[in-house]
Amino acid sequence: MTLLVAELELRTALARRRLFLLNVSVPLLLVIPIALSAAPPFHAAAVYTVLFVLFGTFGSAIPLVRDAEAGLLERILLTGLHPADYLLQRSGAGTLVDALQLCPALVVAAGGMGGSPASIAGLWLTLTTSLWIANLVGVIVASVARSLAETALFSAVTALMILHASGVFRTPASGSVGATLQGVAPFRALHEGILSLSGGALAGGSTALLCWAFGLPVATALLARGLASALRAVERGR
Amino acid sequence: MTALVRARGVSYRYGSGALSVSDVDLEVRPGEIVAVIGPNGAGKSTLLRLMTGRLPPSQGTVDRSAARIGPDGTATLGYGGEETAHFEPLSGFQNARFFARASGLGRRAAAAAVTEHFELLGLTEQATEPVSTYSYGNRRKLLLIEALAHRPLFIVLDEPTAGFDATSRDAAGRLLDRRRQEGAGILMVSHDLDLVMELADRITFLHRGTVVTAARPHELLAEVIGPTTRFEISLDERPTRTIGSFGPDVTIVREGDEVVLDTSRGQAALSDICTALVSAGARISRIAVREAGLAEAFRRITGEDLTDESRT
Repeated sequence: MTLLVAELELRTALARRRLFLLNVSVPLLLVIPIALSAAPPFHAAAVYTVLFVLFGTFGSAIPLVRDAEAGLLERILLTGLHPADYLLQRSGAGTLVDALQLCPALVVAAGGMGGSPASIAGLWLTLTTSLWIANLVGVIVASVARSLAETALFSAVTALMILHASGVFRTPASGSVGATLQGVAPFRALHEGILSLSGGALAGGSTALLCWAFGLPVATALLARGLASALRAVERGR
Repeated sequence: MTALVRARGVSYRYGSGALSVSDVDLEVRPGEIVAVIGPNGAGKSTLLRLMTGRLPPSQGTVDRSAARIGPDGTATLGYGGEETAHFEPLSGFQNARFFARASGLGRRAAAAAVTEHFELLGLTEQATEPVSTYSYGNRRKLLLIEALAHRPLFIVLDEPTAGFDATSRDAAGRLLDRRRQEGAGILMVSHDLDLVMELADRITFLHRGTVVTAARPHELLAEVIGPTTRFEISLDERPTRTIGSFGPDVTIVREGDEVVLDTSRGQAALSDICTALVSAGARISRIAVREAGLAEAFRRITGEDLTDESRT
């Protein structure tokens, strides 16, 4: 197996310099006012987590649907590339690009909460793993959407629901369904990782994060033919 | 010879609409070019999608078992559709090399094949430019390169020379002819009837989703038209006197406000015809000359011109 698709995605992202710079500067501009304010750590961490996860989900789903609408995805798959190969490589490259683009915003956010260089580095790994999951969620969402508008809507709704399940917006009562969901939700680790920088909480959710990071790509690979078929239907305006 | 792709009784319906393609039989063998022609909306592009497997037939079967992965691992399908979408910020060379490699060529082989095809289609000077700067014609050339560079066994092309200048069109024609000689089977849709006459081994006329005739080009013309020229003469005033002779080898097809005549003498017969009509007191308002060609053959078979149909 070659990393042909991943290489192409990375080349394309680096060649789109203006978009690359926008994707670095916009999150940074959103994070700076919060980092400089006296926002409570729980709220600041929630905003950062939402921002980072939506960045990954949108960044994966919207270009995928755009390429499907333009017929580019169809042509790529007609070369004989396996859909699983294509979708996973594309998500992997997208994750790497997202993690690079969000790095300055993460440093500012974590620095504002008193994180040390070592803890920020650890958090960057958590962020990258979370972005990998967000990118794969974006692929699945894209396969359900039939237009760019639907893609944006479904991406936002899906990501926000998973974030809510991850306990980002409120801490669920112990022993409740919400608490059970939080225990297996993918983005708890990122949220609590950011929160822990302020010394207010212990970071949890690493096991769930890793399970999702390994399980979701397997599920994506198993469903790849169906996902690709659904994405191809976008071109025909189904 | 075993067909690379064979469709039997294939139909396709978009949603709950009318059949876009209805009960079509079509096959493409190695070393031949099959052209599908018909008006816009006749179902040509849908038929191409069915033949590549991009659409599953509503009825019938498409057997592509002989056109799967080749013995060297390269993809045997080369597809150049209507789209012009590429990876815009990357160069044409990078785009074409990606498709060649995705189709199974190694890094060096892909680079060599792409370089060769850029030269053949006169795109070398633009090879390192971002595709976002390409004209429509150059994007179409790039699409053709991406379809052909890995030397697939089965090539499907939708309007392969759309947007090409005359020189590039001729180069594309030579390239397709070369692929045929190398043993590829080519299925193409084209409104460039000169290209079709020049290249196609067989022609399929598609009309409202149905194959109305399929034959070798010259056999088709001989069968449908013969060596004739048709004159359609519109009259402002009908003849007031009996028309004398239109001259030798002129057959009257229809008389009235429009007089339709066939002749094997070509346009040389026109002066005799006009003289006879005017001498008989007729006033001519318009003369249409229809030489024997694919468009005329299509018109005679279907009674309609090769123009848009209202259906998709």
